[in-house]
Amino acid sequence: MAEKTSLFEERKKRYQAAMNLEKPDRVPIRLNFSGEFITKVAGYTFQETYYDWQKNNDATRKMLEKISDLEMVIGGANLWWAALHDAVGAKYLRFAGRDLDAETMFQYVEEPYMLPEDYDDFIENPTEWIATTYLPRIHTELAEPGSYRATAGLIKGAFGLAQQLGSGAEAMASYQRDFGVVPTITGISKAPFDTLADTLRGLSGIMLDLYQRPEKVKKALEVLVPHNIFYGMATAQGDTDFPVFMPLHRGAYPFMKMEQWVEFYWPSLKQVVEGLWSNGKRTMFYAENIWTPYLEKIAELPEKSIIFHVDQTDMEKAHQVLGGRFCLSGNVPNSLLAFGKPEEVKEYVKRLLDKYARDGGFILDAGAVILDDAKEENIRALIEAGLEYGVY
Amino acid sequence: MSKELTFKNLPPAVCVPWEVKAKELGEIKGDAALIKKEWENLDLMGYLYIWNWVQR
Repeated sequence: MAEKTSLFEERKKRYQAAMNLEKPDRVPIRLNFSGEFITKVAGYTFQETYYDWQKNNDATRKMLEKISDLEMVIGGANLWWAALHDAVGAKYLRFAGRDLDAETMFQYVEEPYMLPEDYDDFIENPTEWIATTYLPRIHTELAEPGSYRATAGLIKGAFGLAQQLGSGAEAMASYQRDFGVVPTITGISKAPFDTLADTLRGLSGIMLDLYQRPEKVKKALEVLVPHNIFYGMATAQGDTDFPVFMPLHRGAYPFMKMEQWVEFYWPSLKQVVEGLWSNGKRTMFYAENIWTPYLEKIAELPEKSIIFHVDQTDMEKAHQVLGGRFCLSGNVPNSLLAFGKPEEVKEYVKRLLDKYARDGGFILDAGAVILDDAKEENIRALIEAGLEYGVY
Repeated sequence: MSKELTFKNLPPAVCVPWEVKAKELGEIKGDAALIKKEWENLDLMGYLYIWNWVQR
C-alpha cells in the first residue's frame, strides 16, 4: 500500500512537472485508451463492458495487471453505460449486442436533433430547453412528458447516472490504491461550438447555420461559455491538480475556413479555457486531427493554461509556435500502433523524444484515442521506448 | 418558440432558483440557510444530469 502511494506521488509529480514546462526525471507516459481497447486486453466482449458496469470497471483493472508500467488512466473502460441509455431510450446510440454484433464498437447516429427554430428558446434558457424539449425528442422513453413511461424513464436515468458515477469513482480510487496510477484528467468540458455542433445541431445543421443564421449561432455560443466553464469545474469536483479533458472536434482543419474558425470557433473556446484557468484549472486541449493553421491563435492563450495535444498537427510547427509556452503531448500515430511493428514504434518514439522532449514540457502519448485495432505489443513497445529514451 | 419557458437566463448550476422556491415556501421557521444550501445542492445535481446528455 505504502509502495503504491509513493508510486502515485512520483507519477503525479512527474506529470505536473511536465504540465508546468519543467523537466521531470523522465517524460511522463499518458495513453488515452478507448473502452474497446481496454475491453479487448481484458478479454471481454464489447457487449459485456457496455452493459455490465462491473465488468467495465474490472476491465481497466485487468489491463493494469497485464500492462504493469501504465502510469495514468482515465477510469473504467467505457464512457457510456448502454443499460442507462436503454432506460431512457436513446435514439442516438447503437450498442454491441443490441443493434450491433457483440464485437462492434458503438455507433453515434448524428442528426440535427436541435432544430433551427429551437435557437431562441435555447438562447433564452438552455437548461430548461434541454430538459423539456431536447431530452424527450432524443429519448423514446421520455417522448411523452408526464406519462408513466416518461416519468419512470427520467427516474431510472437519474438513478442510473448516479450509480454509474459512484461506481466509477470507487473504481478509480481502487486503481490508484492498488496500482499507484494517477488520473489522466479530472472533469470534462467542451468548446462551445462543439457543444452546439456535436449533439445539438450536428455537422450538417451547424454548417448551414454558419450561412443562414450566423447571429443566432454567435448568441448561442455566448450563452454556452459560462455553462461550459462551470461544467468543467463541476465534473472535476473542483480539482485543479489534473487537467480537464476537452476533446476538440469541429475546430479541426479543414471543417471551416480560417475566417469562420476565427469568427465562430475560437472566441468562445478561448473564453472557456481562460475561465477554467482563472479557476486554476488547466485544459487538456485534445486537438484531434489537424490544427496546424490555428497554432498562432492558440498561442494567445495564457501560458501553461493548456496541454496542447498533437494528433496530426505538424509537430515541428507546434513545437516552434507553442513549445515553451504550453506543455505538448502526442503524437505516436495510431496507424503505426495498429499496423506497424514494435521496432518501428520504438524508433518513432525515440525520434519524437529526441527532437521535441529535450527541454521538458512534453508528455508521450498516441496521436488520438487508442482504438481496439492497436496491437498490444505495440503499446508495450511505446511504453518501453518511453522508459528508455525519455529519461532526462 | 416551441413552448413557454418557465425561466429566462438561468445561470449555470440552477434548475429552479432558490429565490423562487423561497417565495413559494413562505415563512421559514428554522434555519433558512440550511434549507437553501441543500436545495441548491440537489438543484446542481439536477443541472448536471440535464447537461450530461449534451456535453458528450
